[in-house]
Parts: sequence; C-alpha cells; structure tokens
Amino acid sequence: MKEPKRTLRGRGIAPGHGSGAALVSRMPLSFLGGVDYNSGVVVEKNHDLKGELLKDKILCFPSGHGSTVGSYVLYSIVKKGLGPKAIVNQVADTVVVVGAIIAEIPMVDQIDIAQIKTGDIVEVDGDKGTVKIAREAS
Amino acid sequence: MYLTKQEERMLNGEQGWAYQVAMKILVRLGDLYGATRLIPVQSAHLSGVSYKHLGDAAIGFLNEVASKGGKAQTKATLNPSSFDPEYLVKRYSKERCEKQQRITQLYQKMLIQPTLTCTPYYLEKPKPGQHLAWSESSAVVYANSVLGAWTNREGSPSALAAALVGKTPDYGVHQLQNRRPTVLIKVETGLKTETDYGALGIHLGKLLKDKIPAFEGLYGSDDELKQLGAAMASSGMTAMFHTRRPRKQEKLEKISVESKDIEEATSSLCTTTEAPNLVFLGCPHCSGSEVKRVAGLIKGKKVREGVELWVCTSRRIRERMRSHVDTIERAGGHVLCDTCVLVTWIKDLNVHTFMTNSAKTAFYAPTLNEVATTLAPATNCIKVACKS
Repeated sequence: MKEPKRTLRGRGIAPGHGSGAALVSRMPLSFLGGVDYNSGVVVEKNHDLKGELLKDKILCFPSGHGSTVGSYVLYSIVKKGLGPKAIVNQVADTVVVVGAIIAEIPMVDQIDIAQIKTGDIVEVDGDKGTVKIAREAS
Repeated sequence: MYLTKQEERMLNGEQGWAYQVAMKILVRLGDLYGATRLIPVQSAHLSGVSYKHLGDAAIGFLNEVASKGGKAQTKATLNPSSFDPEYLVKRYSKERCEKQQRITQLYQKMLIQPTLTCTPYYLEKPKPGQHLAWSESSAVVYANSVLGAWTNREGSPSALAAALVGKTPDYGVHQLQNRRPTVLIKVETGLKTETDYGALGIHLGKLLKDKIPAFEGLYGSDDELKQLGAAMASSGMTAMFHTRRPRKQEKLEKISVESKDIEEATSSLCTTTEAPNLVFLGCPHCSGSEVKRVAGLIKGKKVREGVELWVCTSRRIRERMRSHVDTIERAGGHVLCDTCVLVTWIKDLNVHTFMTNSAKTAFYAPTLNEVATTLAPATNCIKVACKS
C-alpha cells in the first residue's frame, strides 16, 4: 500500500472537517428520488452508486442535479446519522450547497474527483477547500 | 459579499438559529454566483409544499426552523399541496392527510400564507421592476417575462431563506445586464392552440438550457405565454423570455422553429393513444379567463361515466368565478383548489391514462406520476371528457 498523502486543492463551500473512506461516483446525483431518506441508500436507477450506503462516507461526485427539495433529503439523512461525513464535488450546484449548509457537513468543490478512488481514506477541510488523500485504497 | 451590520449579526446567530441558517444559505449562494450584496424582495414564493414531493425528509427541517422562531420578514406564499380540502382529501389515508396538514401548518407558523397555488400573481400582481424570490419555475418565467418583475429561479430552501430574511443575493436576473436576450427565436409556423405554445416551450427548453430567448414577434395571450414559459422551464432552466426582438440589433445566435419541431414535441408528450380516465386542466393553475373558457366549452354537456374532469385553480379564482365554476360542476367536473395532478397521487386513484392541455404536466407526469399521458388542447379535452 502506498502512502503518498496527496492534497487536492479546491474551493471551500461549507465549513468543517471530515475524514473517512471515499465513495466516488462518475455520475451526477439527485438527492430527491435518488437517495432513500430513511436508509441513506442510493436508489437512483442506473446509477453507479445504486445500493451503496452513504453513512460516514466522504461522498465524491461530479455535481448534483434535480429538485431543490433534495437539500432536505441530505439534511434528513445526516440528522438520522445515516449521511455522509463530507461532500466533494467537481462543480457545486445549489441543491447540494444548500443541503451541506443546513446539514452542517463540510463541502469542497472544484476538485478533480478522478484523482480519488472509492475506498481511499481522505480528509476534507471545508474551510481551506482541500481534500487530502491520506491513504490510497489498495 | 458586503453585509450590513444587521446582516452580519444575523449571520453570527444573534437573532437565533433559524435566521442564522437562512442567512448562511443566502450568503453562500451569493458568494457562489458572484453577488456583492443582498437586496430586499417584495415577496417570496415557495415550492416544496406537497407531501407527495417533500416526503418526510423536509418535515424535520421545517419543524426546526418554525420551532426556533423563524418568521417571514416579507410577504410569502405557498405552492400547491397534495389535495384540496373537499374532494381529494376524502380519498387518501388519514396519515397522508395529517402529514400534509403538518407541513402546511409549519409554514403558517413561519407566517407564510397558505395560498397553495402556483399562480401567486393572480392573487397579487407584482409590479414591473420589483425584486422577488420565487421558486415555482413556471411562476418565475411568468413574473419575469409577462409581468416584468425580477426574480431568479430559486430553489425551495433558498426561497424559504429569502422569506425569513426578506432579502435575496443580488445576482442573475436581478441585474439588468443579465436580463438581455442571448438568442433570437424565429417561429416559422402559426401557433394555433395553447398546446402549440406548450410544445414550443418544451422544444426550446431542451435547446436553450438557461439562455434567455427573444422571439421575433410573439403575440400570444397571457394564458398562452403562461403555457410557453411553464413548458420552457420544465425541459430547460430558462428564467425568462422576451416576446419582442430587441430594439438594438445585437449580434445574437438565431434559432428557427418549424412546424415539424412543434409536431415532434407534441408527439413526444403523448405516450398513449388509449382513452383517458382523467382529464386535467389547470397547470399552471387556471386564470379567471381560463375557467370561463372551460365553462363555455362544457355548458350543456355531461362528463361521461368512468371519466373524471379536474379543473385546478386557486381559491381566489374559484370564488371570483363562482357562476362559471357552477357550470363546470353541474356538468360533472371538479373545480379543485390547493392542488394539481403533479403533486397528488393520481395512480392511487386508479388513473391509468390522462389527458391534459398542459405541456408541463405532460412532460413530468410519466415520471412523477407513472401514468400514460396525452397532450391536447382544452377544446379536445372537453370533447373527450364529455358524452357526445
């Protein structure tokens, strides 16, 4: 296992620190309809994260889409303890930004998420806008 | 972003959590979209009201805001809910109805008026140049394009935040330079019915995304322009359009629309040829003139057995157009307020196919309602709904 400790620099969207295992998608995600608010499981049809649990993950995906009610879904799963620890986007969109603010979880955008693999242990700093890859998945 | 001392205090939580979180939303979005300040809004209009759409996820957040003393600082109104208080309320489970009532009550506790309509402009018409924070996309386009008021396409939470603070970040179409057309549309074919306007909207929404179109002369009625805008905002992200070519001939990208484009968009909105068991008019909610028109079409007829006819509108219009409402109801139609097809559970009412004159509803219903749809002008809708 490599221990490169790379740091990716982006833009801080919502403050705070979060670390954990990355869960990386190549597809946009809609929280309304795409994530079950009772279980925190991705349910969007044909999504590359379908069936995945978001709990305690560092959720990395290109961008949000869909209804702005999706912000409340993110709030709801975080309050139930089923939400991600932080969010990393390529391009922040309103739904996810508002969701991260009201759920009070750190969020960073303008990150090349192709640099992150599912299972990497990453540290997100929402104040500085950085994502540190502390340990790469083997 | 520049904040006044009072805004700073709100952001720091000195007026409590509810205002702090609202301020955080506005400031963050403002930063993100390049606003340098907040500006006061004349009104806020909130989507995200129906229990069908919101589910349980939002109730926790709304409850937290309401119980921590969040109250609207400006006039604020609500989009439709999942049922009307007379007819549909009796056809759903007690649990569903209680959840919906809870949502509406939480908003009321925040001093947001339970108008339950997507056409707040029929209750109080915004004046040209007034800044608003509205989140029903069809109302946003109508306000900007037909009424000349200024509002971005807000989301449900950002419109709530604007209601609580009474302000919105100054970006997007709140700034004159961003209201100018970026593309010129030439419609090469006659638009005969309201569904032609709707189909044109669906076609253009897909092409334009968030560009602002100017039409080379578009002379539809306000009701027809309402259909156009609602449809454009459904298949695209448009916040406004201009009905006239800009006076200064700027260099604009040109798009021409031909009759085959309208035909293709119309047929894409018809997913079945089966006879409907629900006929629905009133997306967006009917204006007074639309209610009158339906009454004129249905006078002396009877809705056939096995078919329901819904005409959805706001309570205000229903009261104002009482005699026309009576005509529709005598014929066996239901004039429903506070709701519409998209925000209620028509599949649970055994609706398998429905017909509508709304391109917006026809665009969304196959996914949001999982039922087959036919788009047809109101004249055809009434013919199909009634005995010959």
